[in-house]
Amino acid sequence: MEAQKYEQKIKELEKTNRILQKKLERSQQNQILLEESNDKKESLLKKVITELGESKLVLEQRSQALQDLLQNLQAMQAQLIESEKMSALGVMVAGVAHEINNPIGFIYGNLNHVSEYAEDLFKLLECYQKSCSNPISELEPEIEKIELDFIKEDFPKLLNSMKIGAERIKQIILSLRNFSRLDEAEIKDVDIHDGLDSTLMILQNQFKTQSNSPEIQIIKEYNKLPRIECYAGQLNQVFMNIIANAIDALEKVPNPQIKISTESQGNFAIIIISDNGMGINPEVQKKIFNPFFTTKPVGKGTGLGLSTSYQIIVDKHQGKLECHSNPEFGTEFLISIPLKYRRELGKASEREEGEEGEE
Amino acid sequence: MFRVAVGHSNDPDSDSAIEEVLEQCLISLAGEVPAAGILFAAIDFEHSLILQEINRAFPGIELIGCTSDAEMSSVLEFEEDSLALMLFCSDEVEIRAGIGRGLSQDAVTATKQAVEQAQAKSSLKSHQLCLTTPESLTADGVSIINGLKLELGEKFPILGGLACDSWKFHQSYQFFQTEVLSDSVPILLFSGKLLFSYGVANGWVPIGRKAVVTSSEQNILYEIDNQPALNFYDDYFAGLTPSPEYPLAILDPQTNEFYTRAPYNCDRESKSIYYLAQIPEQAVVQIAQASREDILAAAKTSITKALNSYPGTQPQAALFFSCLARHQLLGTRTKEEYDLAQDSLSEAVQSCGFYTNGEISPLQNNTPSRLHHDTFVTLLLGVG
Repeated sequence: MEAQKYEQKIKELEKTNRILQKKLERSQQNQILLEESNDKKESLLKKVITELGESKLVLEQRSQALQDLLQNLQAMQAQLIESEKMSALGVMVAGVAHEINNPIGFIYGNLNHVSEYAEDLFKLLECYQKSCSNPISELEPEIEKIELDFIKEDFPKLLNSMKIGAERIKQIILSLRNFSRLDEAEIKDVDIHDGLDSTLMILQNQFKTQSNSPEIQIIKEYNKLPRIECYAGQLNQVFMNIIANAIDALEKVPNPQIKISTESQGNFAIIIISDNGMGINPEVQKKIFNPFFTTKPVGKGTGLGLSTSYQIIVDKHQGKLECHSNPEFGTEFLISIPLKYRRELGKASEREEGEEGEE
Repeated sequence: MFRVAVGHSNDPDSDSAIEEVLEQCLISLAGEVPAAGILFAAIDFEHSLILQEINRAFPGIELIGCTSDAEMSSVLEFEEDSLALMLFCSDEVEIRAGIGRGLSQDAVTATKQAVEQAQAKSSLKSHQLCLTTPESLTADGVSIINGLKLELGEKFPILGGLACDSWKFHQSYQFFQTEVLSDSVPILLFSGKLLFSYGVANGWVPIGRKAVVTSSEQNILYEIDNQPALNFYDDYFAGLTPSPEYPLAILDPQTNEFYTRAPYNCDRESKSIYYLAQIPEQAVVQIAQASREDILAAAKTSITKALNSYPGTQPQAALFFSCLARHQLLGTRTKEEYDLAQDSLSEAVQSCGFYTNGEISPLQNNTPSRLHHDTFVTLLLGVG
């Protein structure tokens, strides 16, 4: 009985021993496989992390490229809108100038004759008065009624005033035509001062905007400048944008002034347009050349004026457009453009624009 | 009546193991005679001896089975290097076995042989379920399933697992009656009043960059993105040999759904990779990986799906087919996979299963059976 028990016990122990040996064997095998599997997982995850990093980089680059593209598109849109606007304005200005030019020609041309005829008529009247010492009784009250002596004295003055007015209209027409430059080739040697003066003439009515505010004083400090090879019409747009902004900045300023100075520095013409307004804070200064950025109320500003100006000066003329502002002294825009248009650079810039458009 | 008996031994000695298994089965059968059985045995056993002993105990039994990577049952739960046997007795369900040989020569003919043999023995013309444990290393699993579908019908439910050899990928065996075979497809064909349901879930997720299979032939992958296939793997695994736990996810470009194909070896000279099933050319692929939590969650999903779709009130038996890659990644937690499945079942349910080189199951009811890798397949059986 006891022997049978031992035999059973031995059998069980032998079985346990076999199982344990097999488990040990398997365990060693499993450990090797598990280690290999872990190595694989580690390597896989490392690689996937690297791939994620790379794809993040690619995404960032794509995002940057898209952002650049968007900016370019916005700039292009801005340029299109502004040039359409300015082109429409130019056509209108040129049309108005042309339409007024002829009638004012008649008026101005005939004023001298009118003056001569009037003088002759007054002389004839005097002769009549001298030769007829006893005029009929009806004439005296009529002469008094029309105040003939006053007419004699005032009529030449009136004609002179009409002549001055007609001359001024002629001057305005010249400015309008000069501003629009529609009748001229795109790149031309021009006198920058003419462009500045034309712009001032067009904006003249805005120098006194409110009845209770003082008129803006325009200070010109023009120095000798050679004729400059440029897109004259577009430069005039720049002057207009900057001066119009200066006018807006001078609202409610006690002694408003806009100063325009010009000089030549090496191969560059420098035009500085400054005002003594409230200045622009540094945060706004950073963004003023961005398309669609405006601090003006909705409907008053498009946010395209300065961005287009920047594009005209920097991209089109390879010049510089800088803004310096200080709340104490106001704002100054410095325009620097080459005296000679750099045709190769200009062409390259135009070609790039064309290529971007084709993409 | 539908009675199921399970025997399971972890004794490495073949004589002792089969003696123990048969003893457990006889007690459980309580005098009933089993008509059929399915055997899962670790690769190191003396398989021929085991089959002889089973046949001696139950002469003429319709027996199939295969070598396995690890085994599980309601007797010993999860075990490695063990022997597990499930036996079926029923007067309502007819179960017949068939064998097809020479898969590598002609999978269609081999599967036809197997089905015809089982059908010839069956008294019923209408069949309900096919269980199979075919070869995985000499033939392509997809071709085997396609062959069976040709004989049984496109949407006939075929379930089972591919034979394996404990991660050696050298030689697996299939069992049929008293024969130990390779390059063969044994089947059990169920007919009669059998009720059954199944569930399959994976747990792997694609990771890394997508690529396209540009050259492959059957189960050998030559090129990905016009580069040697091994370069793609080496890039991720620093030159370590491809193995089933990091399969390729084959993506459906429209839905982004995927199935996986497990590699088991490579040829460094030709830079090609061997898989446990065919890889279609022009397929969009990605490396797939799984965490242990994902794997266990998928096992739970599989059993829940099967339970929810069981047409009767209470299944009597459960069969589990789980991928050997799951065993590899779960390590000491492999037991939890079985525990999760068994916890969802009542104690009366007898269960048995093995870790395979590929699982076979339809994805949903009334859809064609497919070959899966990295999945857990649950099959519930009963008559009421």
